Amino acid sequence: MDIDLNSDDQHFQKSVRQFLSDNSYVAGSDYNEWRLNWFRLARDQGGWDVPKWPEKFGGPGWTPTQHYIWEQETARAQTPWDLPFGLSMLAPVLMNYGSEEQQQRFLPDIRDRKVNWCQGYSEPNAGSDLANLKTKAELSADGSHYVVNGTKIWTTLAHIADWIFCLTRTDDSGKKQDGITFLLIPMKQAGIEVKPIITLGGAHSVNMVHLTDVKVPVENRVGEEGKAWTYAKGLLAHERTGLAGISRSLVALEKLRKQAGSVTRGNGSLLDDPSYRLKVAELEVELMATEFTELRSLASAAAGAEPGPESSILKLKGTEIQQRLQKLTVEAGGIYSAAWGATPVGHTFAHGGMSGYLASRAYTIYGGASEVQRDVIAKNVLGLKK
Amino acid sequence: MNFDLSPEQQLLSDSVERFISDQYPLDQRQLTVLSEQGFSSEHWQTMAELGWLGASIPEQYQGFGGTQADTMVLMEQLGKGLVLEPFFASAVLAASALKYGGNEAQQSQWLPQIADGSKQLSLAYAEQQGRFDLHDVLTRAEAGDQGFVLNGRKSMVLHAASADALIVSARTAGAQTEKSGIELFVVDTQADGITIHDFPTVDGLRAAEIEFTNVVVATENKLACPDGGFSVLNRVAIDGILALAAEAVGAMEVLYKDTVAYTQEREQFDRPLSDFQVLQHRMVDMFMEYEQCKSMLYRATLEVVQQGDAAQRTVHALKYLIGKNGIFIGENAVQLHGGMGMTEELRVAHYFKRLLVIDAQFGNHDYHLAQFAG
Repeated sequence: MDIDLNSDDQHFQKSVRQFLSDNSYVAGSDYNEWRLNWFRLARDQGGWDVPKWPEKFGGPGWTPTQHYIWEQETARAQTPWDLPFGLSMLAPVLMNYGSEEQQQRFLPDIRDRKVNWCQGYSEPNAGSDLANLKTKAELSADGSHYVVNGTKIWTTLAHIADWIFCLTRTDDSGKKQDGITFLLIPMKQAGIEVKPIITLGGAHSVNMVHLTDVKVPVENRVGEEGKAWTYAKGLLAHERTGLAGISRSLVALEKLRKQAGSVTRGNGSLLDDPSYRLKVAELEVELMATEFTELRSLASAAAGAEPGPESSILKLKGTEIQQRLQKLTVEAGGIYSAAWGATPVGHTFAHGGMSGYLASRAYTIYGGASEVQRDVIAKNVLGLKK
Repeated sequence: MNFDLSPEQQLLSDSVERFISDQYPLDQRQLTVLSEQGFSSEHWQTMAELGWLGASIPEQYQGFGGTQADTMVLMEQLGKGLVLEPFFASAVLAASALKYGGNEAQQSQWLPQIADGSKQLSLAYAEQQGRFDLHDVLTRAEAGDQGFVLNGRKSMVLHAASADALIVSARTAGAQTEKSGIELFVVDTQADGITIHDFPTVDGLRAAEIEFTNVVVATENKLACPDGGFSVLNRVAIDGILALAAEAVGAMEVLYKDTVAYTQEREQFDRPLSDFQVLQHRMVDMFMEYEQCKSMLYRATLEVVQQGDAAQRTVHALKYLIGKNGIFIGENAVQLHGGMGMTEELRVAHYFKRLLVIDAQFGNHDYHLAQFAG
């Protein structure tokens, strides 16, 4: 047993730090230019622009420990914004199940951050029970295209997306997990209507997407007709590292301490209030334990073993920690957390604290609600029947 | 970075596991609890012969020179067996006190005897008014012609009645809660002026309240402790907490797995209890809290092996977490076993009681959270 990085990993850590500090954003310069240039430079490092892609598709082929180091270092550095939909959600499906032609057509634009994708999975009656989806795709008589009709919901950034990858139903005669088909559909066309959903934090990031008689050429189908449930499930198995967001939470905890320390209370600060201080302490302990749960999971992955039972708890623990951080920020803001306008009032950190907290309530809902995660652990780890 | 046991540790773990499954059935244990000594001399001998008592004792004193990580491996397995023998008191607490505080003469006198089981020691550190503070000490040691004279009272001393000697914290100087002025003394339990009030604890083990009235201790039996007795005591407490946490993790594993097994067997409303989602989710929570404790145990143990008492803060975090989660898992194991969980017949009750005691030893979860928060 040991917790040290070996010399290769130490060397890697050094070069990541160097890269990040050499290429941080200079205030006042053109952000967009810096962003795209950052990805180009990361690419020149040997696929650092697509850390999780396999080597075959231009990824860096890192070990699990290197991924962990990358997460740790990027959490502390300023890196350009990025979206997961094309890069981490669609790309693995294309790599595993798409045709070579589809790979060549879509992957380069995803990698260059040129095309924005959104994910068309959930429907009004298919949330946690995703296989219940009803959006219908009917093959035309000549077999050249599908005609798609239905409604997708909670579609993040559909309003800026160029394309949507969709789970559709091509057959409803069998088990509901069968008969699901994976289609790639351009967003900017008649028949697709995007309606904003304003969430409780006041933000517009998710949408309802109506598809009415949308024609999709068969060459936009990924894999075989009716087999997409397996593809979507396979994707979940890919999300091994970084699930718990531990590195980012550690940084957020430091920030929370500074913020709470700036709130005066009597002669001291909020951190001198025993009940608040103990809540921060409890959270830190949970974070320390989860950090090692993640390391245990990484170490077994690095040894080439199947993820152990400990890895199943990372999403649950990680998202709960993120929510508690947000909640303590709102508590630290006190009455100023109520201010909702564009101008900060009172403590500057309180501005945006409440909307961050409200948005964080989704963390334990999306990507498999915590209750569904518990069902999965009960079944797959504890061996209990549904 | 790796969390695998070394081949030696794996052997050690397997051998303790085998001992527990062959030699430690619950009904036998419960008979031993009722015996006069409260543990089995035969098992004690076995533990000596297999080298467990000397696991953390340096090789030059007939031990195996292991680290806290080796003790962790041992204690985790012992925790699965709810062992009664004074391994923790003698081979962990007393051995650590001698390792950190003893001079060469003192170490060579005592450590080989702890390793071969011929002497059983314990640590008398707690006092009623001090609650969990190691430095709150009223017991006094006055220097006199023949050495030191001890007067005072020590509390909840593990297995004191069967011990040959005790390592006692006492003040040679300073006020009640000062960290300086505390020294450690090795005191023969047969010495004049010692009164031992022996009693059982709820987990089936033994402890004692001890009065010291003008007990004479030779100068050579004051542990050298070049940095003072308190810093030694503190390091002993760190080793003690790591060992208890490992034992607790072993006990928690038994509890969550027994609960999973029981709910699959027990039928109500025409189906196994384990079919009910509310019970499934409770068991998932028990499993998760167990895994978190195990992670924190690894973290604290490896940090202490590397950094010594500089890892103190992580040790506070560990003791808080295993105290809190141990009780959570214990209470829910009883709850999910229903009426049967309330009986002495099933082993869950016994593991639960052990976890309750572990929470209170060397400071409970509230105490350590407050220490951690600073």
